[in-house]
Amino acid sequence: MITSWLKSLNIPNLPDEWEVKQLLKKKHINVPEGFILKADTDILPEKVSFPVAVKICDPEILHKTDAGGVALNVTEETFIETVTSMRLHFPEKRLLVEKMSSYKGIEFILGGLIDPTFGPAIMIGAGGILTELYKDVTFRLVPLDRDEALRMLRELTISEVLEGYRGSIMDIHTLADCIVSVGDLITEMGNHFNQLDINPLVYSEGKWTALDGMLVLNKGINTPG
Amino acid sequence: MSIIGKKQKNFRPFFYPGSITVIGATNKKEKVGHIIFSRLKTSGARLFPVHPKEAEIMGVPAYHSVKDLPEKIDLAITTISAERTVPVVRECAEQGIPAVIIVAGGFGEVGTKGKDLEKELIKIHKEYGIEILGPNSLGVFLPETGLDTIFVEHGDKALSGGGKIAFITQSGSVGTESLGLASNAGYGMRAFVGLGNKIILNETDFLEYFGRDDKVNCLAFYVESIDDGKIFLEKAKEISKNKAVIVLKAGRTRAGQTAVSSHTGKLAGSDRVVNGAFHQYGVQRAFDEEEICDASKALSMLPQPEGNRVAIITAAGGYGVMCTDYIEQKYPRSALEMAVFTSETQQRIREINLSFASSHNPVDITASADDEMYAGTLDAVLNDGGVDIVICIVFFSPPAATEKLIDLIAERAASSKKPVVVFTQYGPYTDQMLKRFYDKGVVGYSSIYRTVRAVRFLVERSRIIHNLGGNV
Repeated sequence: MITSWLKSLNIPNLPDEWEVKQLLKKKHINVPEGFILKADTDILPEKVSFPVAVKICDPEILHKTDAGGVALNVTEETFIETVTSMRLHFPEKRLLVEKMSSYKGIEFILGGLIDPTFGPAIMIGAGGILTELYKDVTFRLVPLDRDEALRMLRELTISEVLEGYRGSIMDIHTLADCIVSVGDLITEMGNHFNQLDINPLVYSEGKWTALDGMLVLNKGINTPG
Repeated sequence: MSIIGKKQKNFRPFFYPGSITVIGATNKKEKVGHIIFSRLKTSGARLFPVHPKEAEIMGVPAYHSVKDLPEKIDLAITTISAERTVPVVRECAEQGIPAVIIVAGGFGEVGTKGKDLEKELIKIHKEYGIEILGPNSLGVFLPETGLDTIFVEHGDKALSGGGKIAFITQSGSVGTESLGLASNAGYGMRAFVGLGNKIILNETDFLEYFGRDDKVNCLAFYVESIDDGKIFLEKAKEISKNKAVIVLKAGRTRAGQTAVSSHTGKLAGSDRVVNGAFHQYGVQRAFDEEEICDASKALSMLPQPEGNRVAIITAAGGYGVMCTDYIEQKYPRSALEMAVFTSETQQRIREINLSFASSHNPVDITASADDEMYAGTLDAVLNDGGVDIVICIVFFSPPAATEKLIDLIAERAASSKKPVVVFTQYGPYTDQMLKRFYDKGVVGYSSIYRTVRAVRFLVERSRIIHNLGGNV
């Protein structure tokens, strides 16, 4: 699965958001419904269920919001205008068009890295743009089982939102399943894996949904077969 | 270097050598070689000093070189300089000596030249199989036999009583000084190992070795690096089903990744991963020398609590209040609760004590209480099914309190399945009183903070055993 995905990348070893989300989907992590609009493709609004998010889809643009490469809550009326304007600012770039996900409550971050002493590790915690400020995160080595994933979640200060805090409805067990799946994914990627951020990961319409995903692969590792 | 798939290493010569050669033994009193040799004279092993000129060292016949040694030797200890060590270790290997402790520094820790010497030593190990502890190692101390390859034991011999802790340390000084201090209030070790630069034998080897040793129930490590991180943790997880494993990992190395572009990478530093990984694999973490000694003392001596409900008995209200505050502090991995007594327990406490004593937790029996009141209260609290752990705050200065309390508490602690932890302060005699408690098998500390922290280690350990499905 990993091998064929690696081979399919638009730029070798440099997956973009769309490609990362396709990989997550294979691991049963929900992602917003969407499609890629190439620079030379006609705009087809009839394919879209509005409102949508329109994002620059380029692995080399790391901070696309800061660069003006993200438009949210785009309606049918403003869609063509938005796409035209983005194409003007980012010629030749692919655009990712996604159905807006509605969600309430806290945003999570689910990530991974290679620790120099212990090897591949996974992180879960309070996400969103302030994640590095809150620092409410916890780590484990991968792979891990569901009980361990649940223990991770219960260590977080924000864990109470998963257990009905002030009437919140966010399912702790399916979030634990996401942690296990991403842990397995990191393990399967072996030497290819370097860093991963799924941020934010939100609870939308009864499903944990990855609204953004960034995956860094190790360069110079040959794809087998 | 992976140790998986290798045959089990032979550690016996390090701990139970029948014969020892000391290369660098000397009659010059200020030299390390002299101190070590004089220490070893009481170890019971046959000694063979090697000295290029002298005919005898401290009255023991000396040999001019390793090649001249008259019989097969179990253990070599070298105290000579780094440069001269390499050829001597080769000679030892050629003579079939299975194990060597290299005391000298001046190897990898000082730069490239020292690193090259270490590479030579590794080559000798690969060629002959000689096991190497160090270089830059304080060697081993085994209270059971009195084997002390270098100044681990201080002049007061406070560690000679032994115990169930294996203390393995990368830094010699951290080991000897912190243990020296801990021993003032009582500390019991099965063995001490100074890893030094650990070019061959490392923390994972001794984790395995002491994991198999029936006389050890608690392993404590001070390390600045872990060579085979994941392997160490996997073995620790197996061992921690039955024995406590505590690691003080000093030095927060930055993640080695060239570019940390992710939030995850930035949030990790490296320390949060260590925290999570230790927890996942049943390893308990200490952050300084006092904490590792306090934790290992509690974990090696006390029974495992069934739960986290703590009762406090105190003769001074203020200490009971402070203790309650610490217990109620949020600490997700080892949450503690104040026990709630049954009405029978409260009734019993009222019957025993003076009318103005409190029968709720914390039980303040007041400074007017005598020894019998203290002991009766402890009985009542230990008998309460809603109590998992008891903290006894003990003072010897109130007029009605006497030193008999030590025996009274010790008897009750020994016959209960619940851990009883003592806090006491008695001015300049504090450590002395704690040592007297220790000699009767009672664990105690000289501050409320340290007492509650030790209790948290016990509760955390219970949770680890539960999570790993192990047993004590």
